[in-house]
Amino acid sequence: MIEIEKQAWDVMVRHAEATYPRECCGVMLGSIDGDNKKVTEAMAVENVYTGGQEDRYEIRPSDLLEADRAARKQGLDVIGIFHSHPDCAAYFSKTDLENSCPWYSFVVLSVEKGKFDHVNSFLPNADQTAAPQEELKF
Amino acid sequence: MAKILIPTPLRQFAGKNDTVEVTGSTVGEALAALTALHPELKKHLYNDAGQLRSFVNVYLDDEDIRYLNKEATSVEPNSTISIVPSIAGGSSNPPATALTTDELRRYDRHLIMPEVGMEGQLKLKNASIALIGTGGLGSPSALYLAAAGIGRIGLVDFDVVDTSNLQRQIIHGTKDVGRKKLESARDKMHDINPHQQIDLYEEALTSENAMHIFKDYDIIVDGTDNFPTRYLVNDACVLSGKPNVYGSIFRFDGQATVFATENGPCYRCLYPEPPPPGLVPSCAEGGVLGILPGVIGVIQATETVKLILGIGDPLIGRLMLYDALTMRFRELKIRKSPDCPICGPNRTIHQLIDYHQFCGVPQQAVTNTNEIEPQEVKAKLDRGDKFVLVDVREPHEVQIAKIPSAVLIPLGDVPKRLNELDPEAEIVVHCKGGVRSAKAQGIMREAGFKNVLNMKGGILAWSDKVDPTVPKY
Repeated sequence: MIEIEKQAWDVMVRHAEATYPRECCGVMLGSIDGDNKKVTEAMAVENVYTGGQEDRYEIRPSDLLEADRAARKQGLDVIGIFHSHPDCAAYFSKTDLENSCPWYSFVVLSVEKGKFDHVNSFLPNADQTAAPQEELKF
Repeated sequence: MAKILIPTPLRQFAGKNDTVEVTGSTVGEALAALTALHPELKKHLYNDAGQLRSFVNVYLDDEDIRYLNKEATSVEPNSTISIVPSIAGGSSNPPATALTTDELRRYDRHLIMPEVGMEGQLKLKNASIALIGTGGLGSPSALYLAAAGIGRIGLVDFDVVDTSNLQRQIIHGTKDVGRKKLESARDKMHDINPHQQIDLYEEALTSENAMHIFKDYDIIVDGTDNFPTRYLVNDACVLSGKPNVYGSIFRFDGQATVFATENGPCYRCLYPEPPPPGLVPSCAEGGVLGILPGVIGVIQATETVKLILGIGDPLIGRLMLYDALTMRFRELKIRKSPDCPICGPNRTIHQLIDYHQFCGVPQQAVTNTNEIEPQEVKAKLDRGDKFVLVDVREPHEVQIAKIPSAVLIPLGDVPKRLNELDPEAEIVVHCKGGVRSAKAQGIMREAGFKNVLNMKGGILAWSDKVDPTVPKY
């Protein structure tokens, strides 16, 4: 189960809407207690995908490293990654799966016509063959 | 000693440490020392072949080791090694370039035909189609298109499976009655073929959502049963440049064609204007041979597959007419109309319009003082109020379900049997769903009847709201 606190959620939605019609991406920081994750902070990072960003994103590894450092400084953990699907459902696409990492929760925000529409969280496996949905709470 | 920073999710496999100090002269040695210390980490960092997993990046201080000397990169005693996953993605799905072993077996009878072959089967796998409606026409199309290996199928429907659907809507079963049609259809399609993405749109297709839904699909298959949606599907197909694989059915007759291809005609070239509301009865009013949509839906599926494969002669510019009673197929030529308001050179329609208004179908939300709720009719009967309840359905329908005190005057007989009724009396008319009785009400009013009310929702609503023992059909 992943819970996203309001201030973090606001950052995610704002970033997703501001980046529309391109995909946005970012890192979620917080704390973990067993299977219960709580996101207390969200960091927008640059989408560095070099093709069309309407339906692709890529996170610069050094940005993720930076996020990890920022988290450590605050005594937080990197909980997951978020990105947006402009004008597209919040599903975990084949592209998402093939470029995922099983260590994190992947939160996908659907942005329809520039406005946040719905959200889902996924937990990809190590072989990048499946990503079951994860319960998401606010 | 070099420091290795452990990402949060892996700390549980590293004795809950966020940092592990190891010795090693290269990155490879340091990582080997790490996994020797914490063996559980190994499967998270390396695949079965012993290589770092594709999503694992290793940084030595601020540098990605891929740009240094990879795992042979030498490590200084005070270096920091970071493990950072590479993360990307996106809503798009890359085209498939190969079939899995199961798919090769499954599609064998396609693969051995040169007209399909591996190339064609991959075209099917990389194709996406949207099916509007999972009813009579949508059922057989969806089943065969799923079996054929279309990679992505979007289903648009907001209905629930009703027992009266099962006579023809073969994607749903008796166990599905009361379920959402979308879920029932998806489960059946997944059972037939798990190698596809099925998107569900639980909503009516409207001018607001049509362009948006169509955008993700190559071909639209129209399985709708009413004029407003048919014009909407057509217009949205023309405006988005997607072929509209069309089918329609009524009683024993069916039609199929392919509209809205680049140089082909569209539905408006054939029918610029809708028929007056109520002139053409729906299948719910007029009935349909349950097998008929099977024939027409399968023609639609065939045309869809042909369009994807680019083989044969598609039904473009040809309207296929099928008569189940005589078992004859006929074909009419249809041409792209130079005056077509949406696909002609001087088109006047540039965006989707209000199709209910265009087809003269009143929106239901308007309260109608000419209507009476079934519960009120029941209360009037129970009180012994003086009024005549007139059933305007056909005699064979009365055999299925009836309200005991009703007088039967089929709609077609109403004009000539008006003399049986008192123009001053209070009259309540009903039919199956309320459409025919509204017409009867109009006829009576024109003939000078003063007090005619239409029972809202017909005998179906009576069954829902008053007497559930009255069968629904």
